[in-house]
Order: sequence, then structure tokens, then C-alpha cells
Amino acid sequence: MFVVIAWKWGSWLYRLPHSDKRLIADGIFTGKTFAAVWEAFRECLVHRRIYKVNPLLGYMHMSLAFGWFLLIAVGWAETIAYLGLRFVPLQGHVFFKYFAVGLEHKPVFAFLMDLFLCMVLSGVALAWGKRMYSKAMGMRKTTHHVMGDRIALSALWFVFPARFVAESITSGLYGGGSFLTGSTGDLLRAHLSQTTLMQLETSAWWFYSIVLGVFFVGLPFSRYMHIFTEVPLIFLRRYGLRSGEKESTFDKFQTEACSRCGICIDPCQLQSVLGINTVQSVYYLRDRRYKMLRLATADNCLMCGRCTERCPVGIDLNTLRVNSRDVMRNLPSERRYKYFKGLDRSTGDGKVGYFAGCMTLLTPRVLKAMERIFTASGEEVWWADKSGGVCCGRPLKLAGETDAAHKMMEYNTELFRKHGITTLVTSCPICLKVFREDYRLEGIEVLHHSEYILRLIDEGRLKVNKVDETFTYHDPCELGRGSGIYDEPRRVIEAIGTLLEPRQTREHALCCGSSVANLAISDEQQVKLARNMASELEATGADVIVTTCPLCKKAVGRGTEKEVKDLSEIVAGHLM
Amino acid sequence: MKRVIIIGGGVAGMQTALHLRTQGIEPLIIEKEAELGGKLRGWHVLFPSFTPADEILTALRSRIKQQNIGVRTSTEVKSFTSRSVTLSTGETLACDSVVMSTGFTLFDARLKEEYGYGIYDNVYTSVDIERMLNEGKVAMKDGSRPKRIAFLHCVGSRDEKVGQHHCSKVCCITGVKQAMEMKKLFPDADVFNFYMDIRMFGPGYEEMYREAQIKYNIHFVRGRISEAGETFEGRIQIKAEDTLTGRPLRMSVDMLVLLVGMRANDDNASLAAGAHLLQSPSGFMQPRDLFLNNMKSNTEGIFYAGAVTSPKNIGETLNEACTAADAVANYLSE
Repeated sequence: MFVVIAWKWGSWLYRLPHSDKRLIADGIFTGKTFAAVWEAFRECLVHRRIYKVNPLLGYMHMSLAFGWFLLIAVGWAETIAYLGLRFVPLQGHVFFKYFAVGLEHKPVFAFLMDLFLCMVLSGVALAWGKRMYSKAMGMRKTTHHVMGDRIALSALWFVFPARFVAESITSGLYGGGSFLTGSTGDLLRAHLSQTTLMQLETSAWWFYSIVLGVFFVGLPFSRYMHIFTEVPLIFLRRYGLRSGEKESTFDKFQTEACSRCGICIDPCQLQSVLGINTVQSVYYLRDRRYKMLRLATADNCLMCGRCTERCPVGIDLNTLRVNSRDVMRNLPSERRYKYFKGLDRSTGDGKVGYFAGCMTLLTPRVLKAMERIFTASGEEVWWADKSGGVCCGRPLKLAGETDAAHKMMEYNTELFRKHGITTLVTSCPICLKVFREDYRLEGIEVLHHSEYILRLIDEGRLKVNKVDETFTYHDPCELGRGSGIYDEPRRVIEAIGTLLEPRQTREHALCCGSSVANLAISDEQQVKLARNMASELEATGADVIVTTCPLCKKAVGRGTEKEVKDLSEIVAGHLM
Repeated sequence: MKRVIIIGGGVAGMQTALHLRTQGIEPLIIEKEAELGGKLRGWHVLFPSFTPADEILTALRSRIKQQNIGVRTSTEVKSFTSRSVTLSTGETLACDSVVMSTGFTLFDARLKEEYGYGIYDNVYTSVDIERMLNEGKVAMKDGSRPKRIAFLHCVGSRDEKVGQHHCSKVCCITGVKQAMEMKKLFPDADVFNFYMDIRMFGPGYEEMYREAQIKYNIHFVRGRISEAGETFEGRIQIKAEDTLTGRPLRMSVDMLVLLVGMRANDDNASLAAGAHLLQSPSGFMQPRDLFLNNMKSNTEGIFYAGAVTSPKNIGETLNEACTAADAVANYLSE
């Protein structure tokens, strides 16, 4: 097992790009390492993030991981305590109780070992319970496992009960053990004859060693590889390593760190609303790891980030999906982008640039509202694409056509530089995210219109009337979870009227369903998602549904009879 | 005498009533608007013969009067079964059978925000054009004469994005008709039709389409308009793709006319629920079959006439109303 793991890690590390190796070398002797140790303890043993999902589920994972870890650690210490200070391998304790029957008993160790065994057993019991009724642990749906995982899982389920039985029999025969194994041993001795116990002892220890063996042999090839892989992942992440739009071996640390716990399934709207059960992150990562990923699976994701928000391992799920799509779809064509030449149709010459984006051009009410806001605030604007321009590139990037996307990014970057703008405002969160993350716009401040409008209001350049109207707000995925902008639009709305929050909001907000990232679902399915999410917004009873993404605006509008407006429209409609 | 309630007093409802009366049945028309006529009231002339809509309406209305057929206008139906109709006032009317001839709802062009209806001054719908023709003043917002006019077909028809998968059937020929009317009014103007397919299914339609091209020099461009914007001079700038040449196209026009489609009547769902009627996936009412029982509902004693089951032109609607009346008479004599 350790050989396989070492080989895997070694080859992944060896094949990392040079810049990533540099990051490791720079980070390894800094505080980052200590921070990683602490995080590894918190997440790999205690499983703090799962506690946040559901306390009982958290305890289940913690009891198994931390309990087992303590069993090994204390067991090792016990072995040393018996054998004196000499080299004892970590696994030296596994059959210690079987072989070391003649030694005098150390009740403290026996008590601790029983306590931890009890802890692990409670976790196993919960795991069994979860199989039967997962809702008790806050999970509507659990993962559907492949055969290999099922074998490893069954082995794991038997390891501790088998150990408990074996140790109890030994204790029954030779004494030792504490409140758990000791008392069970006493019970056995009272009811069974010495010979039966001796026969049972041999078979129990054999059974224990077989299931343990099966588990450890299966570990590197099954979901349990996560036990060891999450640790280096935490360290590498602390050193600044990230997945990108092209595959790298760092991705392997992420894919194999997935424990297939299935926490990502419940937040997925494709599952809860459309009943699609085979494309969620857990299945995507599994298929990718076992090299059976199909484009249909990689494509069927809204990339809304709701699962990433809940992933206990913190895997960068959206980026991994993008680079899978890149592998399967990226076919750059030189000829396709010849039309870029002589395409500059921009107007105006302000230092503040406004990039409407394709979707804003398809929702001209937003564009009109922005015009009024710019006029009212006296801002001189350079209009990048009012009469047509080149796409920001993000839709192509999300589709995996990363090289084509970069052609667009380069074109737009040059355009922005040519017109010497210092601020770039956009109404589209999709554009915003790519401007901030993939463009090199040093010296140009990139703002979403919600941030820009709030700034105008705060600076007193824009005055709005406070009215007796109620609004509810839909967080666009790319703006909220994608760019961390939650408060600015809310503060603007509160300057105009009363804000009513839907049930799931901010980082838990639902996706509108029309995400450009999903290349698989049909229009009807998109409308179904829109109806479902719009019903939560309607339930607030607000007069108007407000959002800050032109795509969301169109999508939500398909799912409700209520009025749906962009933030800029309500601002422009309430100018003083 | 047997009594049949007809819900909706448009062309279909009036024709059904007239044909029931000739068979010795007492019809009662319930119309939610203040007068009979339905959607045809807003129309100017009908394709392909340029027959004034008023001519047909006047003839139908006067026959209704002559025959002394019961009509209740400004009356809304809340729910119904085959034996009774409940009005929104709570009043219940007993009857022996019901004909549902509630027609369709016009697609709301504002849902296609990218075309700028309700945002830019000179974007109109085909309904606006009929109204302007009726009022006798077709002009741009500022009163001036348009020099270039574009018609866009399939707005709210055959469009998955707005959940309208069906073809509204009559917009193609309406586009041709209105383009010819525009050309008559403004002989110097360039008139364009942007289309996906031109579906000329009726008698004389194809000939009219040819005439529009040959005699009226109306341009037909195969390609949907993707978006409309406003230029500095207040004209409408449209972006489209000419799919026959495979090239993107940009054009400034003075007027953009959106040929809005027919969508299922907004009231269908609530009315269907009360009478246990089936709706097709498009939302239109679903007849028992599309052949021998295409005017019958899935419930005994409830019948359909006209565009309540699918988009139809006036001629088809008038014919179907006769068939529905026959079916009702058969049902009542059984």
C-alpha cells in the first residue's frame, strides 16, 4: 500500500510544472507549513467542515478518522511501553494483543484503547445507519458506489467489529482489556468453554487480519485513497498551488482526495429539480480518476459552485471540470477569428470604460439604465461595445475552448489599453469574473456595476429616492460565489426600498438554471430550474425581483410572472 | 329547447352560435369584452384577398342579431362543466353542452427584450401596424415617413427560448401582407422581411409571396435578427445573419415590425382544471384526436371551436365552428 501511494505521489510531484515546484520550494520553510499541519489536523482528523454540513455526519467521519488515528498512535505508544525504547513500526501494534498475551497488563492503555475502539465502533454504527436512513444526517441522497468501493467499504465496516470480537476473546482467555473488550471477554468466559474460545480466537483474529488486509490492499485504488491524499493536498494548496484551465498533475491530488462522501449531491439542482443522478462532482471526479469520463458528463454542470461551497475537502471542482473540457474540446482555429480586424466600434473617450457584454446587449433595458446612471453622475464614458464588440471569452473558456477564449481576451485587453481607460465597469458578472481572473489589466480597476453604483451613491454623485417598495434579490452565481460580491447590490437596494431575502441566499443562493457553463441540458430543463428557483423569490412576497446579471434576468423572467429587473433599472427608475 | 353555452364571442363563437341556431338549438354567447368580435376587431384587412376585417365582423354580428341569439358581453367565466357555467360574479348558468371558443393570447413582445419593444421608439408589433392602418396614420413616432422598414418573423413562435415551440401559422403571410401595405403607403421605402422559413400554406398565399417580391420589390432575407439597438439618430440598428450567403449583417432601419405569434390562451389552465380538460404541451387545449374528433374535448359534452386548440386563420376557424356545431347537435340528439 505504502509503495503504491509513494509511487503515485512521487510521480505526480515530479511531473508538476516548474512554476509549481518553485512555489513548493518557496513555501516549505515558511509559516505555511505550520498552517497546513493545523488544517490537516482540523480537516483530515476532526472533519470540521463536515460538522458544518451536519453535526452527526461530522461526528461519524471524525470518529472513524480521528478514532482510528488515536488507536494507531496510542497503540504504537503501548507497544513501545511494553517493548521498551526500540524501533517499532507503526503497524507494530496491529496484532500486538494477539501475540503479547503473556505480558503484564497496563490498565491505562487498555482503557484508552477501549475508549477509542468504542469511538470508532460508534462511527461504524452510524455509517451503517446512514446507509439505511441518510436523511437523519442531513443527506437526501448518498453516493452510488462502484464495485471496488463497495468491497473496500465492506472491509472497512468489518475491520473494527472484527477487532472488537477478536480482542474480547483474547481478553476472555488471558485477561487484560478494559470496560469494553474486558467486560465482553468476561461475559464470553462465563458462557463458553475454554476450547471453544481458543478455536474462536484463532478464527476471529484471522477474520480480522483478512478484512484489514483487503482494506489496505484496496485502499490506494478505491475512494479511501483520500485518507492519505488530502494531507499533501492541504500542504500544496497552502503553498499556493492551484488547478488551471490546462490539466496538471496537481489535479490528481484533487481528484484522488475526493472521498466520494456525496455531500455535493444534495445542493446540485440538476439532481433536486431535474432528477439527473450521474453527473454530480462526486461522479465526475470518479469517472475522471478511473479514466472513463465522457464529455456528456463533463458538460452537464451549471458550474454554479453550490457543491464547491459545501465540499469538505475544498476541491476546486469548477476548474477541474473546465480543464477536462479543455482536454476533450479545445480545437483552436486560426481562421475563425480573422473578423477581429478593424472591429473597434467603441465610442466616447472617458477614462471610465463600460463593457456591456453580449447578454447586456440582449437586455437593452439594462444598457439604457446604465446610460441614465452615467449621465446623472456626470461620468464621461468610453463605450466599449455598445455597437457590437468581441465577447469577453468566458463562455468559450467554460466550454473548454480555452485557446479561442484567449484570442478574445487578448483582443479586448489590447482594446482597453488602446483607449487608455483607468476603470472598467461591466454589467455582466460573467465578464467581470474573466476580467478579474484571466485578463492582465494591471492599472485598470475592474468593477461590477453594483460596486460602481454603490460607490457613486457613497460619494454623493448619485442620489436616489427611498420609496415604499419591497425587493428581493437573486445572487448570480458568478457574482456571489464566483466573485464574492454579496453586500454591494444589497446596500444599493436598501438605499431605494426594503430588501426581503429568499430562503436560500448569499453563498447558498440557487442558480437561475441558464448558466452558460452547462452545455447539456435543454431549454425546457432550464425553464424548469428557473421556475423552481423563482418560486423561492416569489415566496418573499416582494414587489420586484432584482438581480445583477443580465443572463439571470432573462432566465428568472422565464420562470415567473413577477417583474424581474436589473439593479441598474431600479436605480435609474428612482434617481432623484 | 336544448341550451348550449359558447364561451368566447370571437369569430369561432359567433359562427358556432349561428350554426347551432339553424339546427334548432338555443345558443348563449358569453364574451368577456364589451362587444363581440374577439381578436379580429383589431385587424385591418385579411390576407390574401385584402378583404376588410370589418366586412366579416359586420356580417356575423348582424346575423347574430337577426337570429336573436343570446349574448352576454363584459361577462367572464370562472369555471364550467358540461352542464353548467359559473361566472366570475358567482352566478351559475345551467346548460346541456358547452363550446369553448376562447381563442389565443398574443405573444408579449417585451419578453424578447433584445428586440427592444417598449424600449425603443420605432419598434412595433404586427398588431400595432393593423391598429395604425385602421386609424389611417402609419408613421414613425415623430410623425415622419419611414424610409426603411424591417419585418421580423417568428417572434414568440418556434422559439425554444421563450417556451413557444409551435408555429403560429399566420404570421408569415401577415408579414407579406403588411409589407405590401407598407410598400403601398411608402413606395420609396425599402422593405425587408427577416425569416427562418416562409410557410405559405393557404390558397393564394404563395402567389402573394411571389407578387410581393416581383411586383413590390420586397426583400426577403433568410435569417433571424439577433438583436436590435438604437443609433445616435434614434434609428434602429439590427444585427442578423444572412444564412443564404452565410454572412453577418448589420442594418439601420426606421421601423422594426415584430410579427408576434399566437400562444395558448392564458385562461386555458384555470378553465381546464374545473372541467378536467387536457392541454397539449404547448398549452393549447387538446382535442380528443386530430382527425374525426378534432372538435371534441376529452370530456363528454364539451367542444372546441377555433384557435383554442391551435393557431388557425379566419377561414379555418369559420369552418371548424360549423363542424363543432354539428358535433354538438349530434351529441344533444343522442
